[in-house]
Order: sequence, then structure tokens, then C-alpha cells
Amino acid sequence: MALAGTVVLNEIQKRIILVWGYKFNFFTQMFMIGFIFVGISFFMAGGQPDPQMLASGLVGYLVWFFAMAAISDMSWGIREETQTGTLEQMYMSPLPTGVLMLGRSVASLCISIVLVGISAVVLILVLGISLPVTLAALPVFLLTMAGLYGFAFILGGATLVFKQVEALANLMQNALLFLNGALLPVDRLPGWMEAFAKTLPTTQGIIVLRQVILDGQSLAQSWQDGSLVGLVVNSTIYFVVGWFFFRWCENRARTMGALGQY
Amino acid sequence: MTAAIEIAGLSKIYTKRNGPAVVAVDNLSLSIPAGQIFGFLGSNGAGKTTTIKMACGLVLPTSGSVQLNGHDVQRQRGQAMRQIGAVLEGTRNVYWRMTAWQNLLYFGRIKGVTGKPLKERAERLLTELDLWERRNDPVRDFSRGMQQKVAIACALVADPPIVLLDEPTLGLDVQAGRTVKRWVEQLARQEGKTVVLTTHQMDLAESLCDRVAIMSQGTLVTNRPTGELLGLFRQEGYELRFRGYVDEAVVARFDGFAAREENGHTILSGTISEHDKLYRLIELAEMQGLELLGVAQAEPNLEEIFVELLDRAGQGKHKPDQRSNGRVPHNALREVI
Repeated sequence: MALAGTVVLNEIQKRIILVWGYKFNFFTQMFMIGFIFVGISFFMAGGQPDPQMLASGLVGYLVWFFAMAAISDMSWGIREETQTGTLEQMYMSPLPTGVLMLGRSVASLCISIVLVGISAVVLILVLGISLPVTLAALPVFLLTMAGLYGFAFILGGATLVFKQVEALANLMQNALLFLNGALLPVDRLPGWMEAFAKTLPTTQGIIVLRQVILDGQSLAQSWQDGSLVGLVVNSTIYFVVGWFFFRWCENRARTMGALGQY
Repeated sequence: MTAAIEIAGLSKIYTKRNGPAVVAVDNLSLSIPAGQIFGFLGSNGAGKTTTIKMACGLVLPTSGSVQLNGHDVQRQRGQAMRQIGAVLEGTRNVYWRMTAWQNLLYFGRIKGVTGKPLKERAERLLTELDLWERRNDPVRDFSRGMQQKVAIACALVADPPIVLLDEPTLGLDVQAGRTVKRWVEQLARQEGKTVVLTTHQMDLAESLCDRVAIMSQGTLVTNRPTGELLGLFRQEGYELRFRGYVDEAVVARFDGFAAREENGHTILSGTISEHDKLYRLIELAEMQGLELLGVAQAEPNLEEIFVELLDRAGQGKHKPDQRSNGRVPHNALREVI
């Protein structure tokens, strides 16, 4: 436990240093989060968005931004570290690589929470959105993130083996924006598309988060109506599949001698 | 002497779906004694880096094993990784956006060192490498030599007994190269570390390494103490000095000898594996009316030996004997000379 704590803190510290080294980029990203949300909201509401609709959209949009960050960290991030040789140095650690990768993921999530959190607060204050804070949202958020990082592990593993996965990562980021219910609830999609959308990571998380935050539904109620069960199943599958796929890709990259190739 | 690195039957074959298999390392067996500076030499593509990466656990071998101080890299990864620190060629190895101090603390922690011991070690390393004053500057602002020193310091931050340095002086200016060289010497001589060095700079290998191994096309061509290897060629390399100019047709009679002019004299140099041959050549010189001024054993350098051995290996005249720990049997070497 102490080891895991050290690894996570070490990674968080590194990320803060690196993010702060790119201050301009960090603040531009924050501005972009707000700007895109405002633009999309006004566009979809024909120029007159109502705060209730904005709150629902904001929940989905912020989750999508977490997805953007996770995918980016696990694909571009790994590729960059392959180029600099720091990934190979990490793999020479005597600590289990699984612990190190989980530590990196937790650190990535912590930085995203700061980035997205500040942007969310600014948007709530500027646009007058009412977004009740409820403790019940925390386990739902963490479950959603577990599934999301499982999905990001799949792309991270693909990066180790195939190197050039930017197009796939871009495709997935955009597919998630339009299909995970961030902008449009998935029950308004055509039947087959709704069924597909619900298999994606974050879709079920957004549904349950809206129930808990906006509709004031308890976790017990979400469990009973099956939505929380769906989230648990979806996130578990993504995390387990993502994790094992990543470990398989690590092994494959070592066999191919590709850990340090780019 | 205890082996710090024990490589047994190590092979790496890269297979491609639509191409021929590439044998990067072919049944390599090698024992690297503890506390020595070991030079790992070979042309590009000889298999040195693949071998180093297999020792670091970064590339999985097709067959065979690597043990670091008795710990198998595949089966006892954690313990094996505690034995080594490595600076790999062609990459930065450290975060350029972070300061030297931050890099050392970061890599120290992922290598399992924390708290006060880590800070003390980092301070000592930075001080020894003359980087202490600039410890809070981002590595990207450093010169190439200083960046390389930070990378070496990070490899050593957990105080590993084995250090693998892949082309540590590549791209460094003379002064930075000397600093790294002095430090490598200190690591082995004063701290008792085993240093494995790959380099294309033969003078560096000759002056630093206690032992050298030369690889060609994935196999070991030789693995000997540096002095022994140089001595072997010194014994068999001769120079015959004649007064004045020696006609090319006459030179041709000295089979396998090359001629050069120096201060009005002609020097024929070549290898003589038996004393009788030397006497026959002296007789031949007399018959040709040449005035022999002297006979001397040639002083070979590692670069010449390297080229010579690789030429032979490449021409297929020489087959390394893996059974004798990859060493070229003395007699076999004499035969090809």
C-alpha cells in the first residue's frame, strides 16, 4: 500500500511539474473546455439554451473531457515517452510494471480532475448553471473512470505495439462525444445506435451521473432500475479487458523489441 | 571470479509476417566478471544493443537466459532490476522539462529508493558530476554533455552494482567525453561496480576496458582481457624495415605483407605465426639484395584488431567457438593469422 502511495505521489508530482512546464497549453485547454461547451450549447439550443438543459449537457460534456484526457495520456503520452526513452527507463524499474501503470493512470486522473474541475466551476458561475453536489456521485464517477481508463489501456497497449494510433484515438474521442450521450441522451438515438452507444465506455456513467446529480436519485434506486448495475458491468468489462490487453501488448512489444521504437 | 552478468545460450530472432526472420543474437554465451569494465564492441547491427536490452528486460529473448548477480531477468525481474542501471543510446533517458534534481528523485522513487537515502544519494551524484550548482535548472537548458551526465546519474541513483552504458560518449565534446570516461573508471575502480560499455570509439575501449568482447552478426567473435587480445596480435604482427625503396614486384614476394615508406626506408608489415617463416623472409630479403635494417614486433591497437577480426568473421574464415564461452581459441586465431 505504501509502495502504491509512493508511486502515485511520484507520478502526480511529475505530472504537475510537466503540466506546469507547459502552462500556456494548460490554460488554453481550460479555456477550450469552456469555449467549446458554450459554443455547442448555444448551437444546439438555437441560441437560447436554458440552464436545466445546460446542466444535463455539462455533466456529459465534462465526462467526455475526462475521456479526452485519458485517451490522450495513454496514447500520445506513451508514444512521447517511447521517443524520449523514459518509458524504457520505467520498464527497468524493479517495481511491478502494473503498479507503475496504475500509478500513472491515477496521476493522470488527478490532473484531469483539476483541469476539468476549474473549468466546470467557471462555467457554472458564468452561465448560472445549477449543479448540485452530492456524495452519491463520487462512486459513480469513480466507476465511470475505471471503465474509461480500461478503454484507454486498450489504446495505450495498441500504441506500444503499433505506435501510430493517433487516427484511432481521434476517432474514438469524437465517437464518444457524439455517441456517449454527452450532447444528446442516447435514448433519442435510433434503436441500433442506442444499443451500440450503451456498450461504449462513459455512456452508462453519464446516464447514472445525471440520475444521481440532476434527478436526485439515490444509488439504491439506480441499482434497482438496473442503470447502476449496467455501469458496474460495463466498467468492469472495460477495465479487465483493457488491463489484460495492455499487459498482452507489453509482452508483445518486448517480444518485437518495440518498447523503445517509435 | 564471480560473474556479475551470466548470459547463457541467448538468442533473439525477429520474425516478420511477410519477411525473412532476422537473427539479431545467435546462441550467445558470455560471462562478465564483477568489478570490471567490460567493452562490448561491434559494428552497427551486430546485436550489442539487443543483448543489452535483453539484459535490461526490455526485449524478450527467443531462447536462453540472462542472470544479473544470480537473478534471472525473466523469472526474478524485480530482484534482477535492482542490480542494474542503464543509459540507452539514441534517447534522452530523462525528462528534459524537469530539473536535474527532480529527475533524480523521480527515477530514484520508481527504482524503489525513497526519503533521506534518496536525497543524499542524489546530492552526492550531482556534486560528483559538477551539476550541483545547476540542480534546479531544467535539463533542456543543459549542454549535451551535462544532459548525458544527468542520464548517467539517474541510472546510478539506486546505487546498482551493474551499470550498462550504451554509447555513453556519443555526441559529446572532448571535455564532456573525458568527464564521462573518468567517471566510468571511478565507478569500477573505486566503487567496485561492473560497467558494461558499448562504444564505437576503440581508443576509449582500449584505454578503459579490462575486457572486450566483439560481436558480429549476432555472434561473439572474441571475448578476452584487453591486454591479452592486444598481446596476441602483438606477438604475431611484425615490421621489417629495409633501406631505400623496395620495388612492388619484390614486395609481392612477401606474401600477405603491406609496404609503406617512412624517412626514406621501406617498412613491410604483416603477421608471422611461426618463427621459421620469419627466417625464410629474412633469407628472401637477402636473396633480393635488400638491406635489412631491423625487425620489430608491431604495436597493434584495438581498432586494427577490431577491423581484422570483423573482416575474418564477415568473410566466414572464422567461426566463433561458443562452447568455449565465446572465446576464440588461441590456435584457431593463429590459424587464420
